[in-house]
Amino acid sequence: MSLGGAEALSGPGGGLDVLDVGGDIAGRTPWQLFWRRLRQDRVALVSLGFIVFLILLAFAAPLVIRVLGLPGPNVQNLNLTDSFGSPLGPSSAHPFGVDPLGQDVMSRVIYGTRASLEVGIIGTAISTLIGVVVGLLAGFYGGWVDTLLARTMDVFLSIPILLLGLGVGSACAVKGCAKGLIQPGLGVIIFLIALTTWPFFGRIVRGLVLSLREREFVDASIALGASDLRIMFKEILPNLAAPIIVYASLQIPFNILIEAALSYLGVGIRPPTASWGQMIAAATPIFSTAWWYMVFPGAALLATVLAFNLLGDGLRDALNPRSAR
Amino acid sequence: MRSIRTVATVALAAVFALALAACGSSSSSSSSSTSTSAALSSGGFQSPLTQPLTGGKRGGTLQVLNEADFEHLDPGIAYYSVDYEVVFATQRPLYSNKPNTASEATPDMASGPPEITPDNKKITVHLREGIHFSPPVNREVTSEDVAYALARGANPNVANPYFQSYFAAIEGAPKATGGPLAGITTPNKHTIVFKLTEPKGQIVADSLVLPLTAAVPKEYAEKFDKHKPSDYGSYQVATGPYMLKNNAEGKVLGIGYVPGKSATLVRNPKWNASSDFRPAYLDEIQVKIGGTTSVIGRQVLEGTNVVENDALVAQSVVRLAAEKFKSQLSISPGAGSHYIALNNKVGPFSNINLRKAVWAALDRASLVKARGGSLVTDVATHFIYPTIPGFDQAGGLAGPKVDYNEHPEGNAAIAEKYIKLAGYPSGKYTGGQTLTIVGSRGNPAEQDAEIVNQTLKNLGFATKFTLVETPTMYAKFCSVPKEEITVCPSVGWIADFADPQTVLNITFNGTTITATGNVNWGQTNVPKINQAMAAGESVAGTSARATAWAKIDTELVENASAVPFDWDKQGNIEGSRVAGVGDLWDIGEWDYSWTSLK
Repeated sequence: MSLGGAEALSGPGGGLDVLDVGGDIAGRTPWQLFWRRLRQDRVALVSLGFIVFLILLAFAAPLVIRVLGLPGPNVQNLNLTDSFGSPLGPSSAHPFGVDPLGQDVMSRVIYGTRASLEVGIIGTAISTLIGVVVGLLAGFYGGWVDTLLARTMDVFLSIPILLLGLGVGSACAVKGCAKGLIQPGLGVIIFLIALTTWPFFGRIVRGLVLSLREREFVDASIALGASDLRIMFKEILPNLAAPIIVYASLQIPFNILIEAALSYLGVGIRPPTASWGQMIAAATPIFSTAWWYMVFPGAALLATVLAFNLLGDGLRDALNPRSAR
Repeated sequence: MRSIRTVATVALAAVFALALAACGSSSSSSSSSTSTSAALSSGGFQSPLTQPLTGGKRGGTLQVLNEADFEHLDPGIAYYSVDYEVVFATQRPLYSNKPNTASEATPDMASGPPEITPDNKKITVHLREGIHFSPPVNREVTSEDVAYALARGANPNVANPYFQSYFAAIEGAPKATGGPLAGITTPNKHTIVFKLTEPKGQIVADSLVLPLTAAVPKEYAEKFDKHKPSDYGSYQVATGPYMLKNNAEGKVLGIGYVPGKSATLVRNPKWNASSDFRPAYLDEIQVKIGGTTSVIGRQVLEGTNVVENDALVAQSVVRLAAEKFKSQLSISPGAGSHYIALNNKVGPFSNINLRKAVWAALDRASLVKARGGSLVTDVATHFIYPTIPGFDQAGGLAGPKVDYNEHPEGNAAIAEKYIKLAGYPSGKYTGGQTLTIVGSRGNPAEQDAEIVNQTLKNLGFATKFTLVETPTMYAKFCSVPKEEITVCPSVGWIADFADPQTVLNITFNGTTITATGNVNWGQTNVPKINQAMAAGESVAGTSARATAWAKIDTELVENASAVPFDWDKQGNIEGSRVAGVGDLWDIGEWDYSWTSLK
């Protein structure tokens, strides 16, 4: 439909964006528009590129360290420490230096990417899934269902994740808990993150659904005899994509930091599996003699968290152009 | 005897006999003498063996910066090195060591050596006259005060940690609960007699260097000992050159000792210098508690009248001192040992050949390097460590000649040989049992654990590897047999006094295994070794005891009961104006009664 040099399109929030496109007018989907906006945000694009690089690095870690000629992350070589047992610093053979066991820090930083991304992405995916389903149910049905689920979310929101992690990590340290079902490590960290962060998504989704269920397109669906499930997941959920994506992208770095914190406190990833938080913890008492052992995993953690945060900001702006920076 | 813990290592105390060099001389060759001197090397730095005991300047206040708080300052309970330096400056046990020896006790409260009857079942000790308690007690010390001090060790409210280990042979001791012991009599004000039910006179006499023998005035302490736990430590009186600052009622808590914050030692006005061999140069010692060792270390090295007396100075600080503050670093040999406890009772390591395979494969040189290198460690080859009689007889630095002990850097071929002998023809473990490894967090124990874990994986074992805090490792896992932990990769031990029994007996005697608080971590229980230990307890004479226990040491090596990897030396640091004197018998910690300011 021609609007005379301009094009009216439905935005993700259901509003209209008027774009001055000049020349021929082309119809674009909301996602095309989103991508157009995102491409204009160089910071977000660089962040996205860095995250893609990290994901590739995590998948191809064994190949990367072979190509770089680095030893494996768990290869100990005490010959790479000096006569006092202090690790040697960066060199051409070990660009990030080695740790007190003579393990290559670069190799461990690369492998540490795996733990961080696994926790960040899988933990967020699970909490998003739970939060969205519960939020949809609470917001759509209202009444006692809403009350029950909302209070449940309040309960889970009150769980202090670091204290819980410390408790589980300590109590289940050696033989596990619940007949060995709960064992400290990556799985439990992901579980704890999902357990304590899904209500964030649940609350957001619930609030939006409470508003959306009063809209005409929902009334129309009801009138047409659509089932509750169809209305929730086919009619309402697509309208929640933008806020969910934005929130999830901001939740990932939070989860990465939680993993790092738990590993720093000694109840996260078990050695010898490489983890940035664990490396930073081990480096703390020897910072004066082995700065590289803290700086490189610290920089990796900083860059990763920053990249996800900046990308999250970019996504928010691209998905909701009316939002203020 | 005690395990080495993060905040608490312990003291070696003395035996009443030959000097360490002499211990080895009767039966050792020149190579073992060389072995001893190499083991006592401090790498060119000062050590308790070289620090002058005379010529200090009198006066001044010494500042002490400690990360760790004291555990107990009551002489009847104190057990850790950080406590010992205060307790030995404020109390006078029957015997004690000069700083430069771990094996020559000097009569302290006693006026001469202990008199042991030929049947090894009765000990008589005569006390000095004219020694007084500090205010508010003030009166002269008598033999009854020593008798009460020992008896209160069995009082559950006091719960001395070593009473039953060393004094159980005294008549009435096994069932004692704090009342007078039938086996301790005081024929006069300055004589005390110990009557034993077994011929263990030597080991009991040796243990009289422990602070439990420091006199305690019954009429003053009894009311505190009725409290559970006893709070005599908070109201204690002194017999040594210093006392914890107190008020007129004798209260120390909150005045001379503020838990978690500080301790202040001042001169004991009732101390008579002519009755003591300590010079006590300093006027006051102010201990500040808190901080981290890496920061404290720098403050000390760049400070003047200050020392650090923590059980473990940060590795990075020792290195800094060795490179830039050479004159302010002291290296003390004989600071205990570390070994890998393998569960002898259940799991794969009930097979002796698999234990030998681990010993053969382990890169002990790397473990030693991870612990700070040769300046502060030596590769261990057996269990009796340098400064303990029997070290040379057990093989000195080289240790017993068995093939799995001959390659400090590890030897895969020998390991493979023993795995095959264990019944795994491939030379790798294929038994399918997963090893539960519980290590201790923090440097360097964490590195020990990771090296051990990797070694076991290389041998084909699947491992479940966990690091926990050090007290948790001992209290909840490694010291609890029913937990069936397969490997405790870094357990440490240091003797209470320089007798080999204190190194081997409780740690490897099958009859000492307990349900909790067990320190026979590997649950070694070999009847032949148990019997040899029972016989060894009754052997009299330092040289004979050294020989007997060295033989047991060799049997433990041949049984591969555990895998020793490190003999510790302790690095201690002082400020530029401190003329520090460390105690060889207490991991080189600075002795307040001998240290002075320049």
